[in-house]
Amino acid sequence: MIALLKIEFRKILTYKVFWILTGLYFLFLGLGIFMAEFILNDWVNNFNKRFPIPMPHVTLYFFPDIWQNLTFFASIRYVLIFPALVVIILITNEFTNKTIRQNVVNGLSKQDFLISKLQFILLFSIVVTIALGTAIFFLGLSNSDAQQIGMMGKKFLFLPGFFIQILCYMIFAFFFGFLLRHTGLAIALFTLYSLIIEPVIYYILKIPFFQPNNISPYLPVNSVLRIVEYPAIPFLQKFMGITLQNSISLLHCGIALLYSAVMIGIVFWLLIRKDL
Amino acid sequence: MKTILSTKQLSKRYGKIQAVDKLSIEVNEGDIFGILGPNGSGKTTTLSMVLDLVKPDSGSFAWFEQPPSKEIRKRIGSVIESPNFYPYLSALNNLKIVADIKGTGHDDIERVLKTAGLYERMHSAFRTFSFGMKQRLAIASALLGNPKLLILDEPTNGLDPQGIAHIRDIIIQVASQGVTIILASHLLDEVQKVCSHVAVLKKGNMLFSGKVSEVLSVTDCMELGSADIDAMLTAIKGHPNYKNHEKTDGKLMVYFTGEPQPTAINQFLYEKGIVLSHLSDRKRTLEQHFLELLQQNQ
Repeated sequence: MIALLKIEFRKILTYKVFWILTGLYFLFLGLGIFMAEFILNDWVNNFNKRFPIPMPHVTLYFFPDIWQNLTFFASIRYVLIFPALVVIILITNEFTNKTIRQNVVNGLSKQDFLISKLQFILLFSIVVTIALGTAIFFLGLSNSDAQQIGMMGKKFLFLPGFFIQILCYMIFAFFFGFLLRHTGLAIALFTLYSLIIEPVIYYILKIPFFQPNNISPYLPVNSVLRIVEYPAIPFLQKFMGITLQNSISLLHCGIALLYSAVMIGIVFWLLIRKDL
Repeated sequence: MKTILSTKQLSKRYGKIQAVDKLSIEVNEGDIFGILGPNGSGKTTTLSMVLDLVKPDSGSFAWFEQPPSKEIRKRIGSVIESPNFYPYLSALNNLKIVADIKGTGHDDIERVLKTAGLYERMHSAFRTFSFGMKQRLAIASALLGNPKLLILDEPTNGLDPQGIAHIRDIIIQVASQGVTIILASHLLDEVQKVCSHVAVLKKGNMLFSGKVSEVLSVTDCMELGSADIDAMLTAIKGHPNYKNHEKTDGKLMVYFTGEPQPTAINQFLYEKGIVLSHLSDRKRTLEQHFLELLQQNQ
């Protein structure tokens, strides 16, 4: 098992595109986390200039809400798409360079090959989750009072929730990569699907005709995003009537994991049957 | 003698095209086995099937008298079609990946790089290599871990004469160490120069197989001229090795089985009262022979 991960690591060791994309991802992730409060309050200030009822400023970085707030900002589509693109590139490269053929000829089974990619996804998700957890921990410590620090562990579950989000989202990308095999096509369709097509389907399914059996919250990307649905900002509840989560949505964790399992199953089934 | 590879009735169809049709071949230890055929005759498909890249529609095959497995593939050095490596990685890192997959350790990398003449360029990215260098790197990777069996698919395809010579030298050198080699090629000349055994494929069918020396042995023919062509024809038909003939402007092309000696032919005809005005050896080139064989089965 470690042997497969070692091979995977060798493939990216000096691959610039991988390191640039990963670097950009961490940059955006960092900016998003550290700038979120500033950006939101800037928006609040603008709002208050124009409307008579003033909105309170938001604070994001105190325990225990910081777990919820920062995992939310770390899991918006536009940030989550980076690791997904990394996965697509690493998988489709193997087809365009025909290195998957050479790997198999050299003695890797197709199962080994798929497992090595899944191991990479798992490890990448773990690393990002740990990095995010560490950032939350220190940001929380420096912005919380003693009483808040006492409640530090209360919403910790949002961090494993985020882990499931990034893991499943990368597995969706794995699915697109193996299904389409061409880098450009896979990137285009995956990006279109998660940023445009699924949101459109989501709103179509919301029209009364499809009610009451509205399945829109259970679409693949949606179920991932709904694991951490909103940040813990009180005015969202007050002004927009949104019910805030106290914990991650276990239902959507289950659905996202189920989608992932089905996609992995399809990829295994197809790759083992299809010629390389 | 141990059987290295045996295929039984191996078949593969792509849509309307029968790429490989009930192919049964046997490669024994120490053979330099050539799979010869024009482009599209099913060579690469055959090799892809025995290397588990492509699933046969029917038939079976065995390596070392065992069912195929990834462990067996680790013991085979293979180059299929074009050299496939990670373009952005150096030659060294590419070979490390191959060594890791095969589980052979990295100690052998230096040796194979030197054999392929790429030692000085091992830190260069694969994409910066010329085609000849890429092909040589592919051979280097196939040599990793000293496999007892090499599979080379068109190893000299697209190379300049110098590159071809270089690759052939490597193959001949490796073959001299007792390594079994399966070599697919559309070049008769290459198979003749390198191989001990050959199977000729056409449109997925095997036309024949056997030792190169037997299969591709040349039927000699002679060009004869005399004042009376018809009398000469009657006389030569009486020769025990006569096969057939063609008439060409005032001369006679006579095909023999075995290898006729000019002196013997001359004497044979002289004894029958024919005086020759012309006699010359016309060896058919192997190329002609190969093309004829392909044509006969049209």
